[in-house]
Amino acid sequence: MIRRAPGLAVWAAALVAAGCLPGRLWREARPPAFPSRALAPTALALLLLAGATLLLVRLRGPRLAGGILAVLEAPPDLVWALLLLALWPAGAGPPGGGAGLLAFLLAALPGELRWLASTLPPERPFPEAWGPGAVRAARGRALRRLAPWWLAARLPVWLTASLVIERALGLPGLGSDWMARVALRDHRGLAAWIGALALLWLLARPLEGRAASP
Amino acid sequence: MPRALLSLGLAAASLLPCAPRALAQAPDPPAARWVEEAFQSDPGPLDFVRGDGEEQFIAQALTGDALVGLSPEGRPVPRLAASWREVNGGLDLVLRADARFADGSPVSAADVAWTFRAIEGDPQASATKRAALGDTAARGEGLRVELRGSRPPERLLRELWRVPIAKAGQPGMGSGPFLLQRDGAAWTFTARPGHFLHPALPGLRFRLLPDEAARLVALQKGWLTLGAPPPRPGLAPPPGMVPLVQPTLAQVLLFAGPGAGPGALPAFARWRRDAFPPRLLGELYSPAAGLWPAALGFRAREPDATGAPCPRVLELAYTAGDGALERALQALAARAARDGVTLRLRPLEAGLFLEKLLKGQLALGAITNVFDPHPWSVLGFVERNGDLNVTGWRDPAAEALLPRLADPASPAWDTLQALWARHPAALPILDVHSHLWIDRRLQVQPSALGLYLPTPGAAGWRWRE
Repeated sequence: MIRRAPGLAVWAAALVAAGCLPGRLWREARPPAFPSRALAPTALALLLLAGATLLLVRLRGPRLAGGILAVLEAPPDLVWALLLLALWPAGAGPPGGGAGLLAFLLAALPGELRWLASTLPPERPFPEAWGPGAVRAARGRALRRLAPWWLAARLPVWLTASLVIERALGLPGLGSDWMARVALRDHRGLAAWIGALALLWLLARPLEGRAASP
Repeated sequence: MPRALLSLGLAAASLLPCAPRALAQAPDPPAARWVEEAFQSDPGPLDFVRGDGEEQFIAQALTGDALVGLSPEGRPVPRLAASWREVNGGLDLVLRADARFADGSPVSAADVAWTFRAIEGDPQASATKRAALGDTAARGEGLRVELRGSRPPERLLRELWRVPIAKAGQPGMGSGPFLLQRDGAAWTFTARPGHFLHPALPGLRFRLLPDEAARLVALQKGWLTLGAPPPRPGLAPPPGMVPLVQPTLAQVLLFAGPGAGPGALPAFARWRRDAFPPRLLGELYSPAAGLWPAALGFRAREPDATGAPCPRVLELAYTAGDGALERALQALAARAARDGVTLRLRPLEAGLFLEKLLKGQLALGAITNVFDPHPWSVLGFVERNGDLNVTGWRDPAAEALLPRLADPASPAWDTLQALWARHPAALPILDVHSHLWIDRRLQVQPSALGLYLPTPGAAGWRWRE
């Protein structure tokens, strides 16, 4: 518990900030209802992101940290969302949840692949010199240690970071909800959000502990 | 690796067919064609007592009925009330017998009284509605309703459109021409066939599109039946759509705080005449004149010359993120520079901007305000707790005039404006217009209140054959 005290203090400060967020509205509007419909698609998107990242890093290893992914990582979410919107055929109607998922993966996957691949230990000259079997075994062991850290550190970020894609494609989700509560100065709603994120952080601590133990 | 990527792509592509069915209906006969629209922000839960804000009021206008509506020309017209008469201290109204709530129950005087009481008694009730009703109380029985309070009857009659009636005890249920349902990410408003306004459309479907660029793409691809394009010069509507410009009662107001000095607003009154190149303002803005909106019957009067010089350096704060307003203010700053005044523009987040303005921490602040379509709406500037009296403006002579403003034609209005002109706290710099692109097949009635808020509003829209 003592080791978690600094982190808990940060979350407590965030809660206080949510309660004291300055500013007033010209016309007080009621905050939107929580978009519970967006929970399942968000969970699916995060699962796909986590699964695809782990699978591709397992297959390609540290080589993924450079090359074309560095270029694909650069464009911000808005570019991917607007590109998809521009290419979407007019006759198909406005893009739906599937397009949102595609834009999300296009925006998030290159960066996450590079993030995870760059943290893998180098494979040259060893274990590469010992053959593909040794490489696979070493990579698997490293990923088993790294994956919990990565999941705990990165995936919560993506819970609300899809805001830009949601706004561009007209698919309200968790990011839009968070932003609307900030704009409307919904102190209670923001406190609930921060409480939920803090809980997620607390639940992720044992994962990191397991990853760190020999 | 390529195979893995291909599998991932195929998995994602398999989800694509769940896109909404917007344009699948394009070839449908007019009677079956829905109107596709976009909200710029989430309207929040439908609530006829606590709900406030532009999007919420659109939802309420579609799903609720006020006692008295305003026609597109701004005249009071029957809505829930079939008739009314002005009496000493208020209005006596008779409700329509055929008005029904969404659950089929008839609208009665008890519902009107409950709605008025809830707005007065709920501390979280809409401030706009509370301001519209003032101290008006409702009572009655069956279909007869009595409204009593200190408001002049004519003013009350023009304020009632703001207050759709909710079913007693159910603030989310109205009696309007459309029924709201959430359908995935969309808000669908389905026409109620038996409604007394006889809506001709099957319904309207709203998506949430806060992003300006995304709204433009949606308009250009025909995914929206109508919508506001970004205010960029030279932008033309796509084939099948026509531009629609509506004069509104909205103005960009410049509030002068204690730091501005008495010479600032008279200087801005001079600069606003020639600061804005027409091409820069486009269809959205035009330079304002006078102190109070001419559309409300006020003659254009400039602030009185004070003899005080304008400060050489001024800071003007505004809400960040409004590109069109920012360009206009930059033009104003360039004009001020020609007179040797440095105008520093300071964008602020909306909530922080208003807090600083209300605390008197801003020398100058620009804000867009929509006036109600009657002269009493300018009283917000001069009344002690008026919604536009953000700087605590006071004048004992003006307070003495307030009881003499029951008649919109009273000469006391001119006297009041003359008092305001001596030391105004705000100056309009731009008139705001509503600029839309609209499907050329859709027949609507433009109005200063917009397309949705007048009576019959969207219930009066028709598809051309």
